[in-house]
Amino acid sequence: MRQNWWKILSVIIIAGTIFGGLLAPIYPGIESVQPSRIDAGELIVMQIKGYNTHFAEENDLPRVWLKLDDENALGATQVMARNERQLRVSFYIPKSFPDSQQVSSLSLVIDSKKDGTSVLPGAIFVRHAGNPDQTELLLWKKDPIVHLNKRSFYGFPYRNILVETIRNTFFHIPMWFGMILLFAGSVFYSYRYMRSERIEDDMRAVSLIHVGILFGVMGLVTGMIWAQYTWGKFWSWDVKQNVSAITLLIYFALIILRSSFNDEERRARLSAGYNIFAFVLMIPLIFVVPRLTDSLHPGNGGNPALGGEDMDHTMRMIFYPAIIGWTLLGVWISQIIYRFFRVRERILN
Amino acid sequence: MISIKEIGSLIRKEFLIEFREKYALGGILLYVATSVFIVMVAFGELEPEYWNLIFWILFLFASINAVLKSFVRESEQRYLYYYTLTHPVNLLFAKVLYNAFLLCLIGCLLMFALSIIAGNPIISFDIFFLAILMGSISLSLTFTFISSIAIKADNSATLLAILGFPLTIPIFINLIDLSGIALGLTLDENILDEVTILASIELLLCGAGMLLFPYLWRS
Repeated sequence: MRQNWWKILSVIIIAGTIFGGLLAPIYPGIESVQPSRIDAGELIVMQIKGYNTHFAEENDLPRVWLKLDDENALGATQVMARNERQLRVSFYIPKSFPDSQQVSSLSLVIDSKKDGTSVLPGAIFVRHAGNPDQTELLLWKKDPIVHLNKRSFYGFPYRNILVETIRNTFFHIPMWFGMILLFAGSVFYSYRYMRSERIEDDMRAVSLIHVGILFGVMGLVTGMIWAQYTWGKFWSWDVKQNVSAITLLIYFALIILRSSFNDEERRARLSAGYNIFAFVLMIPLIFVVPRLTDSLHPGNGGNPALGGEDMDHTMRMIFYPAIIGWTLLGVWISQIIYRFFRVRERILN
Repeated sequence: MISIKEIGSLIRKEFLIEFREKYALGGILLYVATSVFIVMVAFGELEPEYWNLIFWILFLFASINAVLKSFVRESEQRYLYYYTLTHPVNLLFAKVLYNAFLLCLIGCLLMFALSIIAGNPIISFDIFFLAILMGSISLSLTFTFISSIAIKADNSATLLAILGFPLTIPIFINLIDLSGIALGLTLDENILDEVTILASIELLLCGAGMLLFPYLWRS
């Protein structure tokens, strides 16, 4: 039992990430705003649609702003909740703007005690008026955004398009991390086999590769199901989809290579060589190529995944343990496969 | 362990064998000629994008044949004899350099044949030659190493294709970008980036090959 603590740990972590990742709610967010384009100097009525919001709560009417930048914002002249998810807000857009562009984009900020603060960047575009009125500049400073409420519960950030599928982060991405780590482990054992020439090391390397391939296939499948809901297609030739498919091809080739030799020693030697060589070539494929091209994946543009606004600390609290848990589970599976190989060899001899 | 003299004499040996057994080289040249002819029959004049693509596809298949041939034509006993004479790394480098030269030659021939028959969209010849050179070196490194594994199996040609093709994809992604610049397909003049990535892939391959080849060659 004492040596197997990490197996128990992996099961506990995975169970925890499944419960936490699926049960925690998505934070309130702003789904859509009507209209999206207006002229300056008009009184407008906006229809706001929220997600997971509680607009109709008693004594908790949301406060709404249109924000130009950190110093300039417009407060709503009238706020009316139609139901929990729909809000009618009126604004007066001043004739003159502090900036001197033709068109400004304003962000929508909604704040209430129960839901906390939600922001929709670039919610509305305003075309500047032909005859600016300098006296109306003061309107921008009249209602500053102050006394914002903090969210008091645990949840994941709301992102347009992603919405509830943001939870896939905890199940899809750990597969790739697990795959890379398991392949790295198999390279270690392949190297050890070259040194020691013990057939056990070869078996360990191969069992790790088997589990790595399983993780890769699971990563592809979870990604494809997710892509069907967010991108509309199972396979859209995204750079990361291609790269992961190529990686799997390389390792399928390794399995084919092994099956084409009958001599155990020669098979072990050649597959160890190919394994290390393939891993070396996989490094530019997985870590360089996706950074050079654009991808449909969230959090992209330069540095793939993990960065940007798509991952906040509430998600990291589940995401990083999930990587550890799944990798440990992979090592556990590989040990079972390894034992199977040993038993089979003993029976055959 | 690496000796320039031994590498030099091994390369000279490769050339000598090539001249004695002219059919192998002739086969490759015939392959280039027929494949270009098929392209002409199928397409006629080619758009620059397709020209780029077809060039690299033909080059890939020509190179895989050329590299495998250089391994198959010598018997196993002779390799044992080399093994007693010189360090395996010397043999690897000799084969890689010779194959790189051969692939460069095939690439240039392919380029001339394609530009005569299917139109010549190349704007900048020096960049295109650079792409051929980089492609030859990196494909020669990959395929020479993989051939040394595949040669040990019965169906070596199939195995070489299965093992080698997925590994060449990162190389081809960059090669097609680089030659795309030479054909004026991409306005982005980021030649240095592509060349750096290709060179670093080549260095990685070179290092891995140097470490692994002596070990694989022992059997």
